[in-house]
Amino acid sequence: MAAALASRLTKGRSLLGGLTNAFSGLVSSSSGSILSQQQRTFIQMGTRLKVVDNSGAKEVMCIQSLRGKKGARLGDIVICSVKESATKVDVKKGKDAIQKGKVKKGSVVYGVVVRAAMQKGRVDGSQVRFDDNAVVILGIKEKKTDEKGKEKKQNYKGGFNQPLGTRVFGPVPHEMRLKKQLKILSLAQHLV
Amino acid sequence: MRLVKCWFCSSTIYPGHGIQFVRNDAKVFRFCRSKCHKNFKMKRNPRKVKWTKAYRAAHGKDMTQDKTFEFEKKRNRPERYDRNVTEDTLKAIKKIDKIRSTREADHISKRLKPNKQKALKSDLKEIDQHINLIKAPGSQQQDSEKVKVMVSSNKSVQNEAMEE
Repeated sequence: MAAALASRLTKGRSLLGGLTNAFSGLVSSSSGSILSQQQRTFIQMGTRLKVVDNSGAKEVMCIQSLRGKKGARLGDIVICSVKESATKVDVKKGKDAIQKGKVKKGSVVYGVVVRAAMQKGRVDGSQVRFDDNAVVILGIKEKKTDEKGKEKKQNYKGGFNQPLGTRVFGPVPHEMRLKKQLKILSLAQHLV
Repeated sequence: MRLVKCWFCSSTIYPGHGIQFVRNDAKVFRFCRSKCHKNFKMKRNPRKVKWTKAYRAAHGKDMTQDKTFEFEKKRNRPERYDRNVTEDTLKAIKKIDKIRSTREADHISKRLKPNKQKALKSDLKEIDQHINLIKAPGSQQQDSEKVKVMVSSNKSVQNEAMEE
């Protein structure tokens, strides 16, 4: 629990940088409150997310949210850049095996947010929130032009449904069903 | 629709209220309002926070063991809808509630009774020992020595004299 609290204080703050986000005012005003309780916001450019599958990446940074002007929420797809990936030492054999060499540091990937620290409203009126921001990688974004110099079109409007990895760790919310991420639901250990 | 209990204060959470927090070990914590949620974030132990049901149960303030509680236990088996059963259940809920609340009130008054008797005893003692704080020391003696004096009716003679 202490570790979780520490990580929250260091990682959880959204990167404001040069962003003139409408939300920045709200975030900065509440960050100085007593008890240092954070106002959890959207997943936006610069947000670090944990990767909870065995695709090879460990930590990823959001560079674009494909839904929402303010940022992504639970269940939305984001474009990310891999900041940290599994080293050769981590690669194991068998069921636990990390998909070797699929996702390397610096590659740009699509991911779906499976856990968000910001609460999401459910149809029955309740609100759910998780302990951290986590993502499951769906596909690697290919470069716009291939070797021949032609422009490649990558279809993402239809939506990615197949995760890159073969295992998903941690709890997964029911929101995945609405977002048609059924494979992730079937791989999940716990459903919330 | 399901009514759940708040993890912190043990009150019922109705639909549309509160937040549920899912920890990474997939344990779900439900809170009825932000007060409970904030206390949880502060890492307070509900068994030590005086206004929670957990504290009251742990310290014997509230009734914990009674047959009426068994009616409220969670059952994971769905029941087939039967109109008569539903009607009877609704009536029973009201009755059981009433019985439970009277029993709880009894438990609390039983708990407070010896203290009331103690308080009464100490009050009587105080009157005996410290009566001087209520009444003046001299006045008590005078009260007991009140004597009745008879007054003769010679008034009529005196009045006639004055008039003349």
